[in-house]
Amino acid sequence: MRILVAEDDTDTAEFIQRGLGELGHNVMLAADGLDAMHLITAEQIDLAILDRMLPRLDGLSIVRRARAAGIEMPVLILTALGRIEDRVGGLEAGADDYLVKPFAFSELAARVNALARRKPLQSETTRLEQRGVVMDLLKRQVSRDGVALTLQPREFRILEELMREEGKVVTRTMLLERVWNYHFDPQTNIVDTHISRLRSKLNEGGKPDLIETIRGVGYRMATDA
Amino acid sequence: MRKWRSSAAYKIAFLNFGAYAAGLAVLGVIVFVVMHIAFTRQLDSMVSDEAQTLVDEYHSGGDGELAEAIIVREASSSPTHMMYGVYAPDGRRIHGSFPAARPSLGLQQIAFRDDSEGPDKARARVVDLSPGERLVVAVDSDWLETIERIIIIIFSIAFIGACLLGFAGSVFLGSYLRRRLYSISHSAQAIIGGDIRKRMPVGPHRDEFDELAATLNRMLDRIEGLLENLRQVSSDIAHDLRTPLARLRNRLERGASGDASAAVEEAISQVDDVLSLFAAILRIAEVEAGETRRFFRIVDLSALATELAESFAPSVEEQKRTLLWSVEPGISVTGDRELLAQAFVNLLENAQRHTPEGSVIRLTLVVAGRSACLSVRDNGPGVPTGDLPRITKRFARVESNRGTPGYGLGLSLADAVAKLHKGRLTLRNEKPGFSATVELPRNPDSSVEGRTRGN
Repeated sequence: MRILVAEDDTDTAEFIQRGLGELGHNVMLAADGLDAMHLITAEQIDLAILDRMLPRLDGLSIVRRARAAGIEMPVLILTALGRIEDRVGGLEAGADDYLVKPFAFSELAARVNALARRKPLQSETTRLEQRGVVMDLLKRQVSRDGVALTLQPREFRILEELMREEGKVVTRTMLLERVWNYHFDPQTNIVDTHISRLRSKLNEGGKPDLIETIRGVGYRMATDA
Repeated sequence: MRKWRSSAAYKIAFLNFGAYAAGLAVLGVIVFVVMHIAFTRQLDSMVSDEAQTLVDEYHSGGDGELAEAIIVREASSSPTHMMYGVYAPDGRRIHGSFPAARPSLGLQQIAFRDDSEGPDKARARVVDLSPGERLVVAVDSDWLETIERIIIIIFSIAFIGACLLGFAGSVFLGSYLRRRLYSISHSAQAIIGGDIRKRMPVGPHRDEFDELAATLNRMLDRIEGLLENLRQVSSDIAHDLRTPLARLRNRLERGASGDASAAVEEAISQVDDVLSLFAAILRIAEVEAGETRRFFRIVDLSALATELAESFAPSVEEQKRTLLWSVEPGISVTGDRELLAQAFVNLLENAQRHTPEGSVIRLTLVVAGRSACLSVRDNGPGVPTGDLPRITKRFARVESNRGTPGYGLGLSLADAVAKLHKGRLTLRNEKPGFSATVELPRNPDSSVEGRTRGN
């Protein structure tokens, strides 16, 4: 993927560039907002990572201008302060996701992957199926190998997120945001407890574990071995 | 002392005084003019009547009778001393003794020469008796002038007296205003000078000045509170950051000489702690600034509380404590869902952290009048009574809890969030146990459809 990283702090920019490069992405750097805007309009870019505060033109203005110009690539906003204003403003401006600095690189990588896949999934999916697990999103029903499971609403949502990402890592923070709509980090790890309940329901009867834990990062659906 | 010219107090007082004096002067002039016109009219009607009488006399008795009447009148000594004259067309005076030349017709002011006083003025009525004879009846306007002179003198004295009084009043008013204002500015100077506890003197009058002083004092209290808070926070941050940073340093030092990868991993988690501490501090500051109110929406508090309880019950259970909840359906408030959730989570985590295993934590949401009350109550050991008032302060921790994790920011955030929503956080020792209650002004019943979930 061709990814634009607009970040005025060179350390952070290089850190992101190196990390994403190792994952096989082609990363372009822009040190200020106008450069970033120029690259967005001139180049074919698959995904943009924009710092909220950039010299000359801030991240939100870039998103607004790009959207106004009909450029639809996914945008991830980086903000130094996790302020409510930043969160609301960023999404209203047309960004797809935002991440508060400082962040773990694994978190950024997971979000980049999620954003890259989001497009085709936006068509209304009503049925998800992976390795014998079938989810009917309309009837809110789940079954594994034909056996119906009773999941709590939040367990259902977690499984849905994992299935949608199809083997990609979903981080704890992403689950907190998407399932609970919490943009803060409770000390209690409610995600882990819910995952363990979900896991035990899914694996009932000694079936192989389908949810893989990526230590310190998050979870993913085990891919076909 | 400031110059009078630059003093607003004196300016106001003297402006007031000037307006008053000008009003008085205008009034005087109007009275004088009206009076002058009235007196002149009276004189005019006197001479006109007299002239008419003589004309009648002339028409009934002829020239002889007229001459006689004039002689009789001039001889009598009436108080209003009238003068008469009948003139031939060539200007010669035929009868009477009016000492002036032949005048033109009509009502008028005539200058004549008085034997005793010299040049003088009179109001006169001049009519033609026949083509040959012209009658003048005049009255000396001396007394009118006298009256007018007296009035002017009296009025001037009164005016000067009033002005002196007004001036004195203005000086008094000006100095009074200045004194009241000066006491406020004097206190402000003292505060600028560093005496931050100094307050404006509030008098017993309950007037605008006292009100202003009281308002300023409230403002100063608030500012002082904020300053105190700031001072406290900066020293606490400095203090509370030293511990994790020192620990971090030790880890890294150990890593440099031994198992690097394990030390780095530990160091990262240490740094994450520090970062989350900062996030909490910043969040509290953001909430206290109150700017986020513009993102307020209607929040279904019943749904939020149920969802929280359901989400946290499993992990509470894992910690060998029990979470029970009872949530009244259909309660909504206007606010920020995320902040409310964070505040309630903090209360839950607080209860979980400070109770022994086997404790029961109860979360209840009920309507109390116009408020929604969410309370988290446990049956643990409670909090030493002396510590109750201060545990919502940032970094405040109960001494015996120094060993448990946390930075003492949880209740502080909950308190700030409650205040942001125009509610409050109340902490109470329940003997046994401890309860934290957030009271929030709730929306009228109809705004959210009743929804029931949970146990």
